[in-house]
Amino acid sequence: MGTISTAFGLISGALDADQAALNVVANNVANANTTGYTEETPDWQENAPITVDGMTMGQGVTETGATSQRDLVLNERLDQQQQLASASGTRLAALNQMQALFTPDSGSSSSTAGDIGSDITNFFDSFSSLESDPTDNALRESVLTAASTLSGDISSAAASLNSQSAAIDQDASGIAGQVNSLTSALAQVNQQIESTSPNDDAGTLEDQRQQDLSQLSQLIGINQISTSNNGLEITTTSGQLLVSGSQSYQLTTGTVNGVTDFFLGGSDITPGLTTGGGQLGGYLTARDQDIPNALGSLDQLAYSISTSVNAANNSGTDLDGIEGTGTNSAGVTGTGATPLYIFNQPAQVAGSAAAMAVTMTDPNQIAAAGLGDGTGDDSNAITMASLASGAIVSGQTPTDYYSNFVTTLGSTVSEVQTENTAQNASVTQLQTQNNAISSVNLNDEAAAMSTLESSYQAASQVFNILNTVMTSALNLGVQTAVS
Amino acid sequence: MNASTPELKELVTEATRALARLDVARLEELAHSCQALLRIPPPKTNPERESLALEARAAQGDMAVFARVLEATRANLKVMERLREIRAGKAGYSELSRGCGSFIESDAESGNGNH
Repeated sequence: MGTISTAFGLISGALDADQAALNVVANNVANANTTGYTEETPDWQENAPITVDGMTMGQGVTETGATSQRDLVLNERLDQQQQLASASGTRLAALNQMQALFTPDSGSSSSTAGDIGSDITNFFDSFSSLESDPTDNALRESVLTAASTLSGDISSAAASLNSQSAAIDQDASGIAGQVNSLTSALAQVNQQIESTSPNDDAGTLEDQRQQDLSQLSQLIGINQISTSNNGLEITTTSGQLLVSGSQSYQLTTGTVNGVTDFFLGGSDITPGLTTGGGQLGGYLTARDQDIPNALGSLDQLAYSISTSVNAANNSGTDLDGIEGTGTNSAGVTGTGATPLYIFNQPAQVAGSAAAMAVTMTDPNQIAAAGLGDGTGDDSNAITMASLASGAIVSGQTPTDYYSNFVTTLGSTVSEVQTENTAQNASVTQLQTQNNAISSVNLNDEAAAMSTLESSYQAASQVFNILNTVMTSALNLGVQTAVS
Repeated sequence: MNASTPELKELVTEATRALARLDVARLEELAHSCQALLRIPPPKTNPERESLALEARAAQGDMAVFARVLEATRANLKVMERLREIRAGKAGYSELSRGCGSFIESDAESGNGNH
């Protein structure tokens, strides 16, 4: 009887397994439209065989649960690419906003911050005009108007950059709270997985964990380390622990040198977060690198123009015959009691752009005449006009310096745009592959892989041909230019 | 390249878009179009050469993007190839497990009731 019972057990066990498999299929169909749900396939386990009268009889199979068809390697790759795409996308948005300050809109000659390049030219040209009649009040007024437009546009651009930095700082600060919510949730789901499925796939709990990881990856750069009992340790890309098993570690913020810094366990981890990726990485790169670089260039421009023009004006004689206090190129020092400055005199480079303003109110104080010359003299006006072609800003003319600054900013925007496009394309590809493997649909992995391979091969062919055509075209262009 | 052929820049941009969305059919079409490009004789006059060089210069930035997307695709392909190897190993085990159709194993020497 024992034998019959055993045989019956074998058959019914197999039927039960079939039913369980049907249940899993039904579960997949029911969850086909659930975001983040991963297809589950029935997991069959052999039962220990039984030997009766020398005959080995299998115990059949028992359905032991469901193994999700996700793959941690692919998910990690996807998370990593999302971190990069998110960082470059956030940075790109900030850079585009910055660039709009300095690049005139299509069909317009003026950008948000006016047109500083033209302002520089107009300002120095106004001294050239004054040369023709140094006593003409209208020409003197024109110099102050041009100076005011130039300083106004530079200080306005600096103010806009400072406002942008403050707004980014606020956005970055808000991310800490979102990160903390996600790391807390991850610690909880870790605990559930470790207690309920220490050795097996955790099914929907694993889906939940993967969704949280994906969201976290968009916020900051992270590393994932699998631990025993199906647990997961999460660190920042620079190695600071965010989640370990059921324990999460909270990010805190504090103000350091006027901006928000990020702390973990009492240590300032802002530099690591800046290079780590995610939205926070993008915000911090824009706040701590791109905007300060642009402000630094504007500061240098404002400082050099202000100090050079002030020094020149202070080494001449104004329309009322009053001399400045400076010393001219011949070594003669003016007899004036107070300096004759057109712009407020900056004490240091930092902050010069934001503070740039015209301090002179009386156009008669423009010292068009040289020291010791009559008030109708124009020699000092010539000196001030010639500053336009002088290497007065870090070894460059003011116009060249500004032009190079705008070009450099444009190149940075272009580079980040390229990075972002490539990273987004990579994310799209990986999502397609991930969907083919993990989602509940009719695509199969082999087809997805074949698509990826064929796409790569065809694209390589296109690239090689285009590269050949372009190289040839550029060479032809060079030959034409030479001939 | 002339008025009747697409601009280089457009070709590069279209190829990048198609690669991002893994549109094999479109990429193969583009590959054929590009092969046709190679058959076009080089321009003979200076203005034509300059015009083509200008087109090439205009497309350089987009070509850089295309190169980066191609590079990312290659990295993704490597990841997927590695996954295929891993999963091929799992598939072998899975097939073994699922092959337990017969309930009674006659080969007593195997010591394993289910294949």
